[in-house]
Amino acid sequence: MYGHLQAESREQLTSAAAIATGSADVCRTRGALLNSAKWFPLARAKKLISRYFALRLLALIERCRRRILTVDALHHVRISEFMFVDARQLPQDMEVDADICIIGAGAAGITMARALSGGKRKIAVFESGGFEFDVDTQKLYAGDVIGYSYTPIDRDRLRFLGGSTNHWQGSCRPFDAFDLEEWPIGLDVLEPYYRQAQQICQLGPYSYDPQDWIDAEARPISASSSDSLKSTLFQYSPPTRFGTVYRDELEAAGNLTVYLHANLVAINTNEAASSVTGVEIACLTGKRFRARARHYVLATGGIENVRLLLNCTRVQKSGLGNGNDLVGRYFMDHVYVPKAATVLADVSSPEVRFYDHHLVRGQPIEGIFTASDELRRARQMPPFYIGFRVPTTEIAELGVERLPASIRGLLGEGVAHSIEYYYSRTTSSMQVPAKWLYEKMWRTPPGTFVTCYSSGPYPDPDSRVTLSDTVDALGLRQTRLDWRLPADFVQDMHRAHEQLAQLLGRSGVGRLRIESSETGYDPMQDVVNAHHHMGTTRMHDDPRQGVVDRDCRIHGIGNLFVAGSSVFPSYACDDPTMTVVALALRLADHLKSLAS
Amino acid sequence: MSYTRRYLLTCLGYACGLGVGLRSAALAAAASVPDDAAAALRLLLDDRTRARALGGSYRAHCPVESDPALLTRLILDALAPHHGGQQPLRRELLLPVFDRCVRAEFGAGDTVELSGWILARTEARLCALCE
Repeated sequence: MYGHLQAESREQLTSAAAIATGSADVCRTRGALLNSAKWFPLARAKKLISRYFALRLLALIERCRRRILTVDALHHVRISEFMFVDARQLPQDMEVDADICIIGAGAAGITMARALSGGKRKIAVFESGGFEFDVDTQKLYAGDVIGYSYTPIDRDRLRFLGGSTNHWQGSCRPFDAFDLEEWPIGLDVLEPYYRQAQQICQLGPYSYDPQDWIDAEARPISASSSDSLKSTLFQYSPPTRFGTVYRDELEAAGNLTVYLHANLVAINTNEAASSVTGVEIACLTGKRFRARARHYVLATGGIENVRLLLNCTRVQKSGLGNGNDLVGRYFMDHVYVPKAATVLADVSSPEVRFYDHHLVRGQPIEGIFTASDELRRARQMPPFYIGFRVPTTEIAELGVERLPASIRGLLGEGVAHSIEYYYSRTTSSMQVPAKWLYEKMWRTPPGTFVTCYSSGPYPDPDSRVTLSDTVDALGLRQTRLDWRLPADFVQDMHRAHEQLAQLLGRSGVGRLRIESSETGYDPMQDVVNAHHHMGTTRMHDDPRQGVVDRDCRIHGIGNLFVAGSSVFPSYACDDPTMTVVALALRLADHLKSLAS
Repeated sequence: MSYTRRYLLTCLGYACGLGVGLRSAALAAAASVPDDAAAALRLLLDDRTRARALGGSYRAHCPVESDPALLTRLILDALAPHHGGQQPLRRELLLPVFDRCVRAEFGAGDTVELSGWILARTEARLCALCE
């Protein structure tokens, strides 16, 4: 592990450590250790405290500080060992050399870093935040929302190690073949990566067939050829907080460095904009430096990927990779209706329990209803799912609960924001146990449920992310989100519930009432977005129809790639995280093949 | 043996699908039915207020079926294919026949929407009889 250190002179190592730490503590410690050997009463003790042992102890201390760098006279940093580096401590105008630069350390970035670790390539990951939530860094996500009502986009995402996995709820399901019909790659290509993603997200066996999840207490409604809906299920991740779960593993990798508090502010290209020549990184403290690599990957999410590309206007005035005015278009998010219908059913029925959140052989799952392929083709319906919910456990989801304005004013924006974040983080983790507690203590038959309906509109080019005229603390223009819903959304939701009502009635499970203003409750009044930012750098083989090709490379730029849900050209009804991870694994394999 | 509309309502009142516990209600009805059919009907329905409201909605939805005699005939005709040619005379046999009929109608998409509730047509007609 420390063999390379032996090759370094003490002086160079000490000076490098001092540069990194900004102090001479290491030097003094080393000297004290060596000097202390003089006072051991036994000669054997002196032998034990050998020069090599002292160097190892020194290296251990330095490793604990996580700042080991070798800096040459030109301030080029060669990565000699994986570490987490606080970019704010680096010298001004330094240059980082690597083989692959990954911008962003969320689900996609961390997955790629793990997949690329252990090889000969030097990997540099640049993460805007640190290890924990920080208000000033989070403010870099601020932007405007126009169009349909949407969660404030600085509340929708998290900007520190692990990204939005720090507050996701963990529902997972891979896309099926029909969902991928508009993609240039099919399920046969993605499935091997889905299997790996299954383990990365800490899920159970790779099966989403309800028949494999039957137990004594719960089973799906038996299917009939006349049914237009089919049963499937979500598996629930713990949820996996990527920045926490995989931190030690990344640290142990020998070719990987993660730069924290490092924000991408510019992507430099050649005159033809056909190749990236380097990136500029900036810290909120004002520190700036540059990074060069053979390949670059943007992995900052469906909104931020766009913002970074559109802000790069030195060569392409419309933004990098935006020659066909597609970057930012086709923004998609799932529309979530928390109470679309009321269902009366026997709560003790195994067929009802299957569609509630429950454990099967230790794995949390939840049955859902989705449209059959025939229904989607015949009626041109968008992807959707319907789930059952107990109506009174209205626990906040995903950290978008806001304190009253009066309290926010007293506490200040920063403190209020922090409270909201930690509250949401806690409640999202408590969702499952809270529901269990409710069921044990308060649920009484007959069972009354509500349905939750989640759907995504068909890709709409006018639903888009653009830039506003305001700039953030780093000088980058902020985001403007214009989210569009289709005019027939309510109609599609109604038709979907008609199908569910038929299924429930045919099977004798229960009866359903579709809510509307006529029943006294308009479900559209509580519609929220699902915080899934997709489609803004969509994948297509034709550069006139997509921003990236099937290998997630930006059309026209040989060494710039995009990872994450922004490459989705269409989507299923599911949380995109599992597909994000699968695509990241595939992209990592592709980059390995390029290097070899 | 022929059966009157009131007799039919007594037996089918449980199966209008508006409340949970169809099985338990059906057993209670089979166990004891007061001589007064109207009173029995009131006891048998889980939620008469809702059934009456739905019945009114169905009548407004299908005004041509407002006549109680016509409704009775339509219900009996719908049940006929599900009782194997035998007259469902006994109350304990009528419920499963009605259940099969309703399930088949849901499977075939023969449903109506009344105040948001999606009901099989026969059970909606039953509610209309409760007006």
